[in-house]
Amino acid sequence: MTEFLADTTTLSRIQFAITAIFHMLWPVLTTGMAIYLIIIEGLWLKTRNLDYYRHARFWSRLYVLNFGIGVASGLPMAFQFGLNWAPFSESVGDFFGTVLGFEGTMAFMLEASFLGIMLFGWERVPPIIHFISTILVAVGANLSTFWILAANSWLQTPAGGEFVNGKFVVQDYFQAIANPFMVNSFLHMFFATLETSLFVIGGISAWYVLNKRHAEFFSKSLKVVLAVAILIAPLQIFVGHLSAEQVYHHQPAKLAAMEAQWETVPAGQPAAWSLVALPNDRAERNEWELKIPGALSYLLELKPTLDQPVRGLKSWQPENRPHMVGLIYYSFRIMVAIGLFLAALMTVSAIQWVRGKLAAEVITQQTWLMRAWVFAAPLGYLAVETGWIVRCVGRQPWLVYGELRTLDAASKLPAGEVLFSLTGLTIMYVIFLGAALYFGGRIIRKGPNLELQAPLVGNQPKLGLELAQHAPDQRPAEARQ
Amino acid sequence: MEPLQPLQNFLPQVWFFILGLFLFLYVLLDGFDLGVGILSLTASSEERRSILMTSLGNVWDANETWLILMGGSLFGAFPLAYATILNALYIPAVIMVVGLILRAVSFEFRENADNKLVWNIAFGVGSFLAALGQGFALGSVFEGITVDADGHFAGGVWDWLTWRSVIVSLTLIQAYVLVGSTYLILKTSGELQATHYKTATIATWTTLAGAVFITVSTPLLSDNARELLFSVPMVYIFGTIPVLGVLLVFLLLRSLKRREENTPIIWTFLLFSLSFIGLGFIIFPNIIPPSVTIYQAAASPSSLVFMLTFIGFLIPIVLAYNVYNYIVFRGKVIGATYE
Repeated sequence: MTEFLADTTTLSRIQFAITAIFHMLWPVLTTGMAIYLIIIEGLWLKTRNLDYYRHARFWSRLYVLNFGIGVASGLPMAFQFGLNWAPFSESVGDFFGTVLGFEGTMAFMLEASFLGIMLFGWERVPPIIHFISTILVAVGANLSTFWILAANSWLQTPAGGEFVNGKFVVQDYFQAIANPFMVNSFLHMFFATLETSLFVIGGISAWYVLNKRHAEFFSKSLKVVLAVAILIAPLQIFVGHLSAEQVYHHQPAKLAAMEAQWETVPAGQPAAWSLVALPNDRAERNEWELKIPGALSYLLELKPTLDQPVRGLKSWQPENRPHMVGLIYYSFRIMVAIGLFLAALMTVSAIQWVRGKLAAEVITQQTWLMRAWVFAAPLGYLAVETGWIVRCVGRQPWLVYGELRTLDAASKLPAGEVLFSLTGLTIMYVIFLGAALYFGGRIIRKGPNLELQAPLVGNQPKLGLELAQHAPDQRPAEARQ
Repeated sequence: MEPLQPLQNFLPQVWFFILGLFLFLYVLLDGFDLGVGILSLTASSEERRSILMTSLGNVWDANETWLILMGGSLFGAFPLAYATILNALYIPAVIMVVGLILRAVSFEFRENADNKLVWNIAFGVGSFLAALGQGFALGSVFEGITVDADGHFAGGVWDWLTWRSVIVSLTLIQAYVLVGSTYLILKTSGELQATHYKTATIATWTTLAGAVFITVSTPLLSDNARELLFSVPMVYIFGTIPVLGVLLVFLLLRSLKRREENTPIIWTFLLFSLSFIGLGFIIFPNIIPPSVTIYQAAASPSSLVFMLTFIGFLIPIVLAYNVYNYIVFRGKVIGATYE
């Protein structure tokens, strides 16, 4: 059992998985929430209704908490490629490094620089500059998603060049960036961040409504969330479906693992869709299974019988197919189930909205609906994590699909070194997750500041005119960001 | 290939310069950031610490981002160097990353905590660890990184830890404390400012001592450096740097004594620039000192051109909005807000 403690590659893989799984939790929220903040600030500027301004200030408190931890937990990601995956970095650095460089300069710097103005600049810059800063923060965050997904998609479907003596030589950068997986992967993730944030904001709003705290105030944010979710939730299912089709065409071994399909279904036959199963990697079969006949053929090709065969896992040599089939199989199902649940919740809520049941005076009566929203709040995270498990564990044993094996891509480090960093990072991440939940909970319990007045720009004295003694901050706690 | 030769020399040089610029901006900007973090350990009251933290609130993210830019660009432009250097410096890099994580999260948690003590300490310790890790990395540049014929790391786990790298690391920490102090002189007033005139003066002397040691020991202990330093015309450049350095230290100490507010940070920035130029001359044309050159470690010319087209175009824009950010938040910090 403890063999892996001496295996650098396994330790590096665990470290990457842990840093990625933890890191993901924070940018997923901030990337989507940035778009929500644009909407809410836009509503404030348009309607001059102070409630929207107070919403913007309240949610940006949660934003900054998550952003700070997101940056911090992302640092090991930025360095890990060189630290633990040096042969990989060297082999594909020409392209992969370029894309990460783009992410830093184009996207991350934009977000980090305008964040200061977005958070602390209310009283210092004119409203329009503030609004532009909020937009630029969101643009930066979503550009990050774009570049990271371009890089990861390239790992799934490497295009735009070829491997010569183990080193990737780029022939066409644009082709490499626009690799077959890129468009759908980006859209899928873009919608995922937005959907996760919307349901977090919606869930928190519903929690206030349930507790009859500022119900009118939070019915506003819930409706903004609902209005956007009506568009996003069905689109996400559609894009998710397109992504699965892509996997079928480009990574059939991953598809076989997602479906726990051990035997090949030849062309011209109907394929059954497995609903629940107990996959056994060692025995190369499912111990137990519940199937819907013909459903997979419809899912993949919208036809009762298949044009292309669905290859089973057994048709690959064991060293060329993904392991941990159960993990991939159930991660995929959890993700899909959550996507469907969120779309259903959105539909029911929309119907109630149309029936006038979400009006400020009656919304507190929607107990069950509000409970469902609270329940839905963490589900987006779970869907994102399981989705990435399918994507990256399903790609194994390849780091660059079909070209570079994970085994050959790891640094030859002493296992003790990796164990040192793995232990340190894991302990820190666990503590930070606990602290983030605790402090996030505190911000929520404390609630918004409903006394906050509109920002007065330019009422400060000019710089350095007087050597003021440090006066204690007399603003309400809410305003101290 | 012959007509491409000038281009193949030129592009890695351009990227060496760009990476140098990113690293320099990082060291300067996150330098004062980390320095303020280390100084926060000495703050005598919660109120003072609040002022220290507020002075960083709007800038620390962007400052730290220069490091991410540097990492990403090094990965893209010199993949071999990125892989080898991080392999060689695994432990210092992890110490730095852990430090940066600690300080970033403490910064956010502290805002929301009732009991701030734990997060205050974590913030200061994190800043110290980040500076320490970077100091060891800098020390390894002087020591050199052992590589095989392909430029892969071939040294031991503890190569980065020598008595000389300890001194280099301590010097870097002092330098960060110095630039942090001068930043606080600029951003604060009253008693707090008075304290940092003191810390700035002390840090000037300790940094100077470290710098003198590094300047003297480098040619004495390293054969490569000696050859480079005493060759014409380099000897003139290396002769000028210490003279200018001493002049700047004099100006800095004088400005501190006269209680000037804006000039100490300017002299400090110039001192940083001078050291940085000196370091650049010692390393160039290597990227993995002492033996792998930028030409060996560079990505393909097409990659370098592609990156240059986009990143090069963005650099002025990025610089412009960073400057704008500093302009918006200019002025003194009072309490937990800006004046």
